[in-house]
Amino acid sequence: MLKIENTLFTAVMAVYFASMLLYFCFIAFKKDGFARFAVIAQAAGLALHTLALICRGIGAGRLPLTNQYEFATSFAWGLSLVSLVFILRFRFKALGAFAAPVTFLVIGYAAMQSKEVRELMPALRSGWLGLHVSTAIIAYGSFGVCFVLSLIFLLRARVQQGSFLDQHLPDREKLDAISYRASALGLLFLTFTILSGAIWAERAWGSYWSWDPKETWSLVTWIVYAAYLHLRLRRGWQGRAAAVFAVIGFICVMFTYIGVNTLLPGVHSYA
Amino acid sequence: MRNRFHRIVRFLGSMRFAIVLLAVLAAACAAASTLTQGQSYAWYAQRYGERTAAFIAALDLDDAFHSPWFIVLSAFLCLDLLLCNLVRVKALIRRTRMFAEPGHLLSLTPECSAWVRQPEKAFPHLNMGIPAQSETDGKSMLSAVRGRAGLWGAWVCHLGILLLILFFSLGQTLEKQYTVYGVLGQSMAVGSTGYIATIDDFRIDKSESGFVEQYTTRFTLRDANGATTAQSAQVSVNHPARLRGMKFFQNSTGWAAKASVTKNGEPLQSQWLCAGEYLEVSDKPGLTVLLSAVYPDYIFVPGAGPKSLSDSPVNPAYLYSVYYNGQLVGMNVLMQSEELTVDEYAVSFSEPSPYTLLQVKQNSFSLFALLGGLITAVGLLLALYVQPVRVWAVSGQDGLWRLFGENRKGGKLFAEAFAKAAEKAQISTPEDGKPNAED
Repeated sequence: MLKIENTLFTAVMAVYFASMLLYFCFIAFKKDGFARFAVIAQAAGLALHTLALICRGIGAGRLPLTNQYEFATSFAWGLSLVSLVFILRFRFKALGAFAAPVTFLVIGYAAMQSKEVRELMPALRSGWLGLHVSTAIIAYGSFGVCFVLSLIFLLRARVQQGSFLDQHLPDREKLDAISYRASALGLLFLTFTILSGAIWAERAWGSYWSWDPKETWSLVTWIVYAAYLHLRLRRGWQGRAAAVFAVIGFICVMFTYIGVNTLLPGVHSYA
Repeated sequence: MRNRFHRIVRFLGSMRFAIVLLAVLAAACAAASTLTQGQSYAWYAQRYGERTAAFIAALDLDDAFHSPWFIVLSAFLCLDLLLCNLVRVKALIRRTRMFAEPGHLLSLTPECSAWVRQPEKAFPHLNMGIPAQSETDGKSMLSAVRGRAGLWGAWVCHLGILLLILFFSLGQTLEKQYTVYGVLGQSMAVGSTGYIATIDDFRIDKSESGFVEQYTTRFTLRDANGATTAQSAQVSVNHPARLRGMKFFQNSTGWAAKASVTKNGEPLQSQWLCAGEYLEVSDKPGLTVLLSAVYPDYIFVPGAGPKSLSDSPVNPAYLYSVYYNGQLVGMNVLMQSEELTVDEYAVSFSEPSPYTLLQVKQNSFSLFALLGGLITAVGLLLALYVQPVRVWAVSGQDGLWRLFGENRKGGKLFAEAFAKAAEKAQISTPEDGKPNAED
């Protein structure tokens, strides 16, 4: 089963790469047809990715959410899923051209990690693992999409009026509204992640919160996005300022994910 | 004076103050996470130099999350949340009450409006259900609202965070914590609770490859005075047990051995020692033996030191240190049949066994803190995903209706949905002599 997963993972990378190229062609050659195929390729990649994760789960005999490789590939899955939902929900195909490279970078990072299946330490053998990590995947995926939308927002002013891209990008007001949706989804799921992690930590270690670096940085990320959502209510803080804030928020997300694991040892060091 | 007080209250409960506090707290958390917490002054001095260590000590950065400045910041955040909720509650109740009142709707000037012919057709397109009909100020009116609970989202979320911080802090301050550790059959006092725990069973489950899957301890809790009946429970990692108002957690394990002391060949004392524990020779004040480590299957690897080949006690050895009046006087590895001799005293180790360590906690506030967390999540759900929407139409002249829509959280997306719904309701044309779309 793990061999099948390995093959599927390679296929997923190839399909995501093809999807990214198609999105680029859509922008470069200014033809809607490329975008249609890019979305189809992304959906196909997502289906294969889901299958690969299922195979990994069956092969490992547990949820595939416990080490750097598994979380990275799941993070890429979350990014791909949330971006596809936003592309379809808001009929915003150009989003794919910006989100696909981020997804490809994350899955590329996954490819560089060890794929070895290790047995789980007793603390990780819990039903809370699935809820805790899967909500984190959706949260990170949503923040990734929010980051991409904020970048588009910041670049939007430079797009020539009447150009092909101008016609395929929502105006700044709408981008801001969509970005808000993505960050709201991320914050909600990050809250579930922190809560489920706290309940699990209490059962495993007897304490809801122990200021472990991962916990602390999840809280920092939560505070940054909470501040972002509050700032948006203030005059003068919508639009550009909010977009810059969302970019800072995603830097926190990435530090929580990669930086903490590699630079700050703690109880999440295995993740 | 009263005005100044009101101004201060408004500032302390304001969003601006909350954002400043959040930014400072986030920066403090980020900075503190990069510094190893809970080390001694000497440790910081050796690592960062005397001056930095003094700075760390002065600001309590070695225990930043429990330092006075962090507590003060958190207290200000609680005050801000409390005042913010208190200041807003009246207005929120009024807004909730008037949310669907036709008379109130007529006084509003929302951003979304359009002249339409068949307003009832717009409502389903905005997921508004069947509109209520009314007559207000001589005008026919259709109105529908949804998502009223969303008005309370931020308020509920603030309340949840407040309860979470409050009960978590109370729990941390008033919590009683003990550790109970020992080998099979050993009994020990549970701190100052007056209870005695006896280890009835300790099991380490391993996979076929030898990887530890679970640690399970079965124990019995007895009243030291025998006033209550004994109770037994089983704990394992992720499966704590609750007995007599205490929560027992399977925390860790290690190796222990029985230490025996003889004096001139006569038995003097015998007791269990877990790795890391000291034995004080009862007959000789100042003479102490530290059992540093137990190697159940001993091997000495040149360059790497003593190691254990497996967890089976087939060739046990014990790393010890001897202290006399606090001074280290010897350190070596003792095999099972060997004795350590100091003057007329001989110390030996035997029966290497795994010990279990249980953590015991008494915290009456943990459930309330959890409740605070759940209220926060519900509040966020209401704030972010339940959008208070009101749509209403007022009859005008020539069979035309003025359609209005309000969704403060919807922004441009609601405006677009409204425009589409208005289209379905047949937006009037310029020939009607009225504006033909959103104005």
